[in-house]
Amino acid sequence: MATIDLSVTTVREANELLRKYGADGIDVEVLNPDARHHIGVGLTHPINVHIKGSAGYFCGGLTDGPRFHVDNNVGWGVGDNMLNGSIVVDGNASAIPGVAIRGAEVVVKGNIGSRAGQVMKAGTLLACGNASFMAGYMMYGGRLVILGNSGEKVGQDMTGGDIYVAGKIGEMGTDAMLIDLPQKERDEILAFLDKYKIPFTGTFQKIVNAGKKLRYPKTEPRRRAIPFFESFADNSYWNAKVQEDIHVKSQIGRYRIRGYGASRPMPHLSDIAFKKDIRIGAMTDPDVISKIEMKTEVGGRSGANPLKLSMPVMIAPMSYGALSKSAKLALAIASRLSGISENTGEGGMSKEQREEAHQLIYQCLAGRLGWNIHDMQKANGLEIYISQGAKPGLGGQLMAKKVTPEIARIRGIPAGIDLRSPSRHPDVLGADDLVIKVEEFREATGYRVPVSVKLGAGRVRDDIKIAWKDGFDFVELDGMQGSTGAAGNEVLEFVGIPTLSAIQEARDALTEVGGLDMPVILMGGIKDGIDTIKALALGAHAVAMGTSAIIAGGCIACLQCHAGTCVTGIATQDPEHEKRYNVPVEARNIHHFLESVRWQIAAITHAMGYSNPHQVTRDDLVALTPEAAAITRLPYHPEYRERDQGLLKAS
Amino acid sequence: MSTNVITVYDINRVRPPKAPARDDVQDPHFVPAPCQVACPVGTDAPSYIGYIWEEKFAEAFEAITATNPFSSICGRVCDAPCEPACRRTESDGPLAIRNLKRYVMDKLGNDHHLAPVKVTRKETVGIIGAGPAGLTAAQDLAEAGFEVHVYEMMDKPGGMMVWGIPGFRLPPDIIAEDMKRLFKHCPGIHLHCGVTLGKDVTLDELKQRHAAVLVTIGSWWGKPMGIPGETSKNVIDGVGFLRRINAGERPTLPEKVIVVGGGDVAMDACRAALRMPGVKDVKVVYRRGPKEIPARKEELHQAILENIEIIYNTQPVEVIDKNGAIALRCVETRMGQPGPDGRRKPETVPGSERDIDCGMVIMAVGQKAESAELDTHGLMAGDRVKTDWSSMRTEDPKVFAAGDGAFGGSTIVMAMMHGHRAAHYVKSFLDGIAEPLPYRTPYRTRRVPAAQDINWEVFPRRDQAFNGLGANPSAFPEIETTYNDVTAKEEAARCYRCDAETGSSDYSVKTREDIFVMARTPVTDIRTQAAILEKRLKPKANPFPENHHASFDDLVLLPANLSRLVIDPYRDACNTATDIAGSVKLEIPVIAAGIDGLPAEARAGLGQALATVGSAYLTREPLPHSKAPWLQLLEPGDTPNPGAVGQVYVQPKGFHAFKIAKQPGMVTGLVARSEDLEKAIPFALEHDLDVMLLDGSSGIAVEWPELKSYPDFGVLRDAMRIVRRMNREEDIDFVYFGGVRSGTDVAKLIGLGAKAGAIGLTVAMALGGEMSPSGIAFFGDRTEAERADGAASIINAMSAEASIMARCTGKTDVRNIEPEDLRSITLASSKAFGIPLAGQKRGTVIEAAE
Repeated sequence: MATIDLSVTTVREANELLRKYGADGIDVEVLNPDARHHIGVGLTHPINVHIKGSAGYFCGGLTDGPRFHVDNNVGWGVGDNMLNGSIVVDGNASAIPGVAIRGAEVVVKGNIGSRAGQVMKAGTLLACGNASFMAGYMMYGGRLVILGNSGEKVGQDMTGGDIYVAGKIGEMGTDAMLIDLPQKERDEILAFLDKYKIPFTGTFQKIVNAGKKLRYPKTEPRRRAIPFFESFADNSYWNAKVQEDIHVKSQIGRYRIRGYGASRPMPHLSDIAFKKDIRIGAMTDPDVISKIEMKTEVGGRSGANPLKLSMPVMIAPMSYGALSKSAKLALAIASRLSGISENTGEGGMSKEQREEAHQLIYQCLAGRLGWNIHDMQKANGLEIYISQGAKPGLGGQLMAKKVTPEIARIRGIPAGIDLRSPSRHPDVLGADDLVIKVEEFREATGYRVPVSVKLGAGRVRDDIKIAWKDGFDFVELDGMQGSTGAAGNEVLEFVGIPTLSAIQEARDALTEVGGLDMPVILMGGIKDGIDTIKALALGAHAVAMGTSAIIAGGCIACLQCHAGTCVTGIATQDPEHEKRYNVPVEARNIHHFLESVRWQIAAITHAMGYSNPHQVTRDDLVALTPEAAAITRLPYHPEYRERDQGLLKAS
Repeated sequence: MSTNVITVYDINRVRPPKAPARDDVQDPHFVPAPCQVACPVGTDAPSYIGYIWEEKFAEAFEAITATNPFSSICGRVCDAPCEPACRRTESDGPLAIRNLKRYVMDKLGNDHHLAPVKVTRKETVGIIGAGPAGLTAAQDLAEAGFEVHVYEMMDKPGGMMVWGIPGFRLPPDIIAEDMKRLFKHCPGIHLHCGVTLGKDVTLDELKQRHAAVLVTIGSWWGKPMGIPGETSKNVIDGVGFLRRINAGERPTLPEKVIVVGGGDVAMDACRAALRMPGVKDVKVVYRRGPKEIPARKEELHQAILENIEIIYNTQPVEVIDKNGAIALRCVETRMGQPGPDGRRKPETVPGSERDIDCGMVIMAVGQKAESAELDTHGLMAGDRVKTDWSSMRTEDPKVFAAGDGAFGGSTIVMAMMHGHRAAHYVKSFLDGIAEPLPYRTPYRTRRVPAAQDINWEVFPRRDQAFNGLGANPSAFPEIETTYNDVTAKEEAARCYRCDAETGSSDYSVKTREDIFVMARTPVTDIRTQAAILEKRLKPKANPFPENHHASFDDLVLLPANLSRLVIDPYRDACNTATDIAGSVKLEIPVIAAGIDGLPAEARAGLGQALATVGSAYLTREPLPHSKAPWLQLLEPGDTPNPGAVGQVYVQPKGFHAFKIAKQPGMVTGLVARSEDLEKAIPFALEHDLDVMLLDGSSGIAVEWPELKSYPDFGVLRDAMRIVRRMNREEDIDFVYFGGVRSGTDVAKLIGLGAKAGAIGLTVAMALGGEMSPSGIAFFGDRTEAERADGAASIINAMSAEASIMARCTGKTDVRNIEPEDLRSITLASSKAFGIPLAGQKRGTVIEAAE
């Protein structure tokens, strides 16, 4: 038995020590915890940890295997995302106890706070006392046992799992219902109570999901996309697209869903030109790439190991789920071949993807789908998803057709539901919570891995200041041109601000607070080396490409990603359709595309007389449209359009 | 450029040469599909496939025949380079482009004709050889107005199409169909059959008779194998054999036949031989492997289905006489280094000799052109007519050449391309152009919408029915049957429509294709990389030119993120209920208005729907039996109806003060357009009116007012400015009308200051109305319940949309959306709505160009 005294040891050191004792199989006593946060976070060995006193936020969070015993109370998020093992709390637990647990046993002898077991997937959360409101909120699986009273809105929007209440039920939550308790289940609960020596002789009421909100009642009739110039770009108000929308909505009675991003024209990087006339025709230097230095490091600003990119380009986050495993694999291989980073997106990390991608960012979303400590520790970057450009303010949306048993298993959810991921992190209700969450991630990974935030562009000026203040290592900033596998059409088209506006606001805000040391990775409609250089000049540190990489790998831009029957095998989980995707061929194509991007970056940088694309600045750019000029405050020079179209001879 | 290979992703896709007329590649919304690029004559396959799905067969016929005079023939036997180029090949098999063509031609080929063209030029052109190259050139030249004389040594036109392809693949009446169409279309083509060059006519004679001569003599003669014993009478040449078969002979052959070669002639010869009396076993001997065999996959597959054995990696070295019978002595081969043609050369394996017994060997190892007459004039180079690809000229300035005879054995479609090409240069010559512009295959599109079959992603490739040898093989029954109407449509639905513009302006078809080329070009190919970059550097057109109207579409909502708590739009509740003047309760901030033009059938449905969803309406007459609150629209002096919940006065000719009598317990209001506001608002406030309908349409009192002009959004901006100036914002409710189409529009107009939006055209369409040039048309194909359901559904959808927009902005009540939640993305909208541009710093001045 080892002892760690928190009156003389920092939590960071304590967690390092705990991991070491864990590896050696030595049980630990933690003295003077003084309700400090993150005690035991990141521990993956089955040792006993006895905390003598009260623990703060996320006690025993992001762990697998240990058995914690807390003599007194715990703060919120006890056992966060715990895989196996147990936590016994002799006192009370604050809000979201057992949040996102995936198999652990969390036993609270006293009362528990609100939203107990939010988004839990498996395991048991037991409260011997009363639960506060919204117990079992959005839970996907597992068992929540309340020996006292349930509080209000119990089982609110639960998707799966079972809630057992021995006391009074305050009020049933939306889409929850009472059913009979099978004797076998009662016996199992009693056995569980017995294991933790909790005397109980009463019985329970059982609450499960009522299933009324898991599927849309009417299927949306599918249509192949109307050419964009017949919709928004058509200057007639009641155009073909408007008519089609009305026609379809008058059948289904709800908003339409589709894949991809904003489809209509908006001010973009294409409305900006280089001041210098770049004569590509004369560009035959076979070796221009070797003349330009474009290696880019991202994420080292607080001491973590940075991502080392061979060029200022990343693969944008896209989930296994929205995309087939094959498509994710091709992206991973291409990212390795081109020396850049890949990102898991929402759906968790697959073994194959981890093996292929040399630099992999692991994304954490509000539903904690597929999230676990082991993959965190394998990742080269951790990313907290707050929102995305395609549908800021909304969680992921994966239609039932794509929620296969395998996807469901990795994500820890029931198969065959229309999955609408929560929009709000259970444990991030404001900027201050986020600081603690970031710290938890750093603790779990020994401060080795950069922690970034993904932000859909909205009030960028305000949001990015918070991101900076919260100490993120970098921001992935996603304009509304960013794409997605499925979202409401109205959100895709009308929520958020264009990528061009986003980078401008970010730069303005970071300049204002002296935060330019925090890199901004710009995404949302970045298509080539030209866009990349313009983005860098406007203030981005690097860009991320999603849709472009997918198209390079065979996507035909039919906008039907949500349907689940992707004709090219990219946005599907149907094995018959996935068979159509040739991983080695498409990985090579994506790699070719990325190398072409690299060549473009080099050729333009070289043509402008620089040796590094990061040397290009706003002074090298002009705006071609009044909108772009107003947004970026670049000089307005529409005549450069004629020059670049080859219609005018440049001076 | 190579003469026989067309690649889909070469530099021409990045940097197309200057377009001739009849070409659509300058259209910003068109990139020719890979299948079209792969087709030597640029057939607009995506369009005809689209037409087939639409069941517009005459239009499909036009697209098919536009550059292909032998469409019926090609529908059966084209080697279809389009199919391997089809992007769906990689997925679950290419579109059956060829068979879809056959389907159309079988339907229409005999009956559809092209309008005849007149001879308008005095010069005439002589063409030697009536094969696909010669006749294609003849058609082009005839279309250009020339009289054309075609000299053919056989007794009918068609060349190798007639004499080289057996009838079980290409029935003679199909060839006749194309010929009939060609000659009817071009009465100026004079065909002289049974005329052999050098025997019946000399080149000099032709040069005298005609202003130009085109030599398309084909590759008529089989090449020998060049091995001992091949002169045996039991060794015959493949093209010669096919010629006899196609002349109608059905010779009895030995039991065992061996065909040497792996090309199309070998395939036709082996299958023809199998159908001859006496034959029981046919083998094909090919010196390379299954990957290298040039025969079309389908034909090879069918030969195998017919029990023909293909022996790969085997090279004949001698024909051995075995007392009447023969044997073919062969050695095994393996693939060696690539030869000058880029193909790996087979090497023999020492000690692998073996004899294959047979009664007959048919050589199909290549063809050659022969003409003593041309040779005398020094126009031959070995077994080809010496021809310059870039001008299609021979050594004689007046003589041009094309087709297999000039460039070696190839396919029908390639020969047609040569014909088009030659015709271009002949015409330029006759027009006196010394240095003609280079020929380019035109790429046209007929801009056909994509097939709307929801199963397009799922349908597998529909194969044709294969009939094999049939009961009486030597009668040559056709081997394949085309689609029926259902399978044809399903196959057509599978098309990706690579040619069609996408639904995304950001990832337009041009952008997508640029990315495709980037993804298929090695970084070492600097020339193509430079071309791509040059193209990508060209700016797009300004998406918002000066005539771009303001629109709700160009307003966006700002989402909650970090600085504002996110509301879960899927789960958290959001209130949509509101009211007008505190007394008209609405479940959703939408009412119906501007719908006095609705037919009676639709009015009943609407009345029901509005009551169901908890909405109200503003019309002159009440809806029948509706429990929904009715706001009566009336002109000053009209009589208020006691059945209404209120009166809203409209003055179609513009606002002027009038004596207004507020009814007790009734909501009272005014309609105002932009020009009315300065007077109407003070008037309304002075008379304590409850509501003002801000009319952004052409005038709510006319029929379908929203169709008559672009919405005037300024009315909402100006009304808000006036009440704010007067500090009376809370004293009157605004309802906005004009161009409201969705719940998103409603969320925005609430953000701009309105209490609710009024829908007219939108609900009319939901009730079954269809836009037509004259307005909006209704048909008697819906029940009242269906109409009611449509109207209720659109309003419910709008409610869901408005509330999701509110939640995205971090609000739990639609009423709480405010101007601060909105941004414009165009200057026109910024001005019209009074909402700043996204990303713009307040007070920014746009620097003018120097």
